[in-house]
Amino acid sequence: MIQELKKTPFYDIHMNLGARMVDFAGFSMPVQYESIIKEHEAVRNKAGVFDVSHMGEFLLEGKDVISFLQYVMINDLKLLEPTKGQYSCMCYENGTVVDDLVYYEEEPERFRMIVNAGNVEKDFQWLNEHIGSKDVKITNLSSERCRLAFQGPKSDEYLQPLVDVDLSSINRFYFAHTTLNGAPIFIARTGYTGELGFEISFDNKYAEKIWNDLIKIGASPAGLGARDSLRLEATYSLYGHEISDSITPIEAGLFWLVKPKDGIDYLGKETLLKQKSEGTDRIIVGLNLLDRGIIREHYKIFKNDNEIGYVTSGGYSPTLKKTIGLGLVEKQYSEVGTEFEIEIRNKFLRGKIVATPFYRNV
Amino acid sequence: MEYEFPDDLKYMKTHEWVRIEGDTATIGITDYAQHQLGDIVYVELPEIGRTLEKESSAGEIESVKAVGEILMPLSGEIVEINAIIIESPESINSSPYGNGWMMKIKVSNSSEINELLSVEDYKKIVEEEKK
Repeated sequence: MIQELKKTPFYDIHMNLGARMVDFAGFSMPVQYESIIKEHEAVRNKAGVFDVSHMGEFLLEGKDVISFLQYVMINDLKLLEPTKGQYSCMCYENGTVVDDLVYYEEEPERFRMIVNAGNVEKDFQWLNEHIGSKDVKITNLSSERCRLAFQGPKSDEYLQPLVDVDLSSINRFYFAHTTLNGAPIFIARTGYTGELGFEISFDNKYAEKIWNDLIKIGASPAGLGARDSLRLEATYSLYGHEISDSITPIEAGLFWLVKPKDGIDYLGKETLLKQKSEGTDRIIVGLNLLDRGIIREHYKIFKNDNEIGYVTSGGYSPTLKKTIGLGLVEKQYSEVGTEFEIEIRNKFLRGKIVATPFYRNV
Repeated sequence: MEYEFPDDLKYMKTHEWVRIEGDTATIGITDYAQHQLGDIVYVELPEIGRTLEKESSAGEIESVKAVGEILMPLSGEIVEINAIIIESPESINSSPYGNGWMMKIKVSNSSEINELLSVEDYKKIVEEEKK
């Protein structure tokens, strides 16, 4: 049976703009409006707006929310305070990843959580399965609220006149509840592009109004294609690529994310702390090509005719104007400067392991 | 979206165009094909002097998001490749029938020309694909 694709509240806007739509996690989403490169450059140079309403939004409430999150998350909530958010992973006992996400402490007993589109149902179930006797109630707000990312070096300047909050008072990963040209919004200084910017969430009924307000102040519509090329340049992990239910955060190089949390038991703790201190057999590295060509995910990586890993993400970098990628390779070949070969359609291209991030402006 | 398909060209259902001049054929990809691929960032073409059969692979086009294969519309020997698109692959997006041409071949079997599509037939194929 063919299941009809879900639509975000911005679907008609995308269609009217002539976007090319693709199936992403069961949603019909714009991969590009006119040109991925132009949309990418708009975000690097000015500001772009992305429909990220396919992502999930949960509200967690109850006396035990913090102790519950300390148990299911690998990052340490002791670093949080009200009005601050935190990036983290939920892991299985074996250290691989259920999902990576951001949660925001509205109050000690009330958290907002934004999760990956493809994992909304899995996460909702996983979280609920681990509540046990704790006082925690989880509400799935994903379909009644919508989400936009407003990203780029001009985002503060463009947005300030429209919001009732001093944006310069919101530090990175902090958030506020305010209004945007009269419409109530949740706004966080977070993003996935390597630029200044915000992620906002609001009731579906303001979708068209807020989109139009952001376009009016100078944001260019940007699709999932640019979202992916921007995050790859900024070297942010993408679930299902650099982290997944078969790749741990330590293998993905997210060492800082795995916290000791003394005296607190959490899912994956034993495996991850062991991996953090002893290392892993394979690790995510940055890739460049010495030959001409483009590398894509799943391409195999070789050293002296032995397969040593594969490309987890790859593509053309519009900012650096060359091919970049990330790959999961055997630790012994992971040093920066190591040369390798990548198999592309029965040919072998030479490449080199390089330091990451490729590009970041924040 | 309206695409441009010049009347004086022949077409392949796989979205290559062909301009016949005597026994030489110039080959490129259509306006529809470049739109489908999006921003083109890399092109790989065969070496000059190689002889390739009709419908065999004559190279690859990589856009930011996708990979496309170029098929030989006719059998023949590669006599020239367009240096512009090696250095500036985006020329294929901006000028698919002009600066964005890909290669010239010396046609080895002129009877194959009759098998190519007219602009009317090619437009029908594009209309079908757009559905």
